[in-house]
Amino acid sequence: MSHWMFNCKEVSRRISESMDHDISLYQRMLIRMHLLMCRYCARFRRQVLFLRELCRSRRLDESVLDTSVNLPPDARERIRQALKP
Amino acid sequence: MKQVPEEISVADPDLDPETWLDQYGDYLYQFALARIRNKAVAEDLVQETFLAALHGRKSFKGRSAVKTWLSAILKHKIVDYLRNKRREQVINDTDTVTETVDGFFHRNGSWKIRPGKWTLDPSKIYEQREFMDTFYKCLSDLPDRLSKAFMLREMEGYSTKEICNALQVSSTNSWVMVYRARMFLRRCLELFWFKKQRTKTDNVSLDV
Repeated sequence: MSHWMFNCKEVSRRISESMDHDISLYQRMLIRMHLLMCRYCARFRRQVLFLRELCRSRRLDESVLDTSVNLPPDARERIRQALKP
Repeated sequence: MKQVPEEISVADPDLDPETWLDQYGDYLYQFALARIRNKAVAEDLVQETFLAALHGRKSFKGRSAVKTWLSAILKHKIVDYLRNKRREQVINDTDTVTETVDGFFHRNGSWKIRPGKWTLDPSKIYEQREFMDTFYKCLSDLPDRLSKAFMLREMEGYSTKEICNALQVSSTNSWVMVYRARMFLRRCLELFWFKKQRTKTDNVSLDV
């Protein structure tokens, strides 16, 4: 690969960074070119985007909750006491 | 998750902690129990959550719904608990997670541990207790600060600036931390969930 192109390590870092702040158009272009040729970086990208989707989904929080159990009265009372000023 | 509509109107910093207990005590307990499965520990974590909320009340300022805010505190408590528990169990700590991602790449920057193919069935992900367990296990496998950075960013939707304030790091540092967390987390899920799923079933599913 030519020296001006990103390698996988650089691409993966920038893919991650692009999810946290704006990166330059030039960098985005280099990433896109790399992704056309590299299926592993493409997978990396899909996987970290999936992680984000997973974390932001309310379904993750609501899943596997047993709504039939409640905070036991004695624990509730203990917490109430602890919260008193 | 800033704009999640919620059944309660928020932003009153004087909201009575006892009201929180009445309204969200059961939910938080169920949440903790689903991830820890030990009643005494779940009770303790709920108590710690309310106490932390009481102390952090001033900084809350209604950036999210009370329920979301309390759950976020609880999630951090759960991950901390799991991490400490594992530390106690493992005497000879051969942590696979190092501080850098160097091990994932060859010296020329190409992948050494290549991202694998994930086949996933969304219904399984959200309904299976095992997936939740794996996910929290992987979060708690991360070094403390990496999991914090990741959770603040991806679960709580903090901006870079907010993460920098919360963790006292530079912007560049925060990006690197979240990058490492993503790298290790996806690898952990790959090892402990996706590979096992693939060997178990070969059903029709989405390719992610």
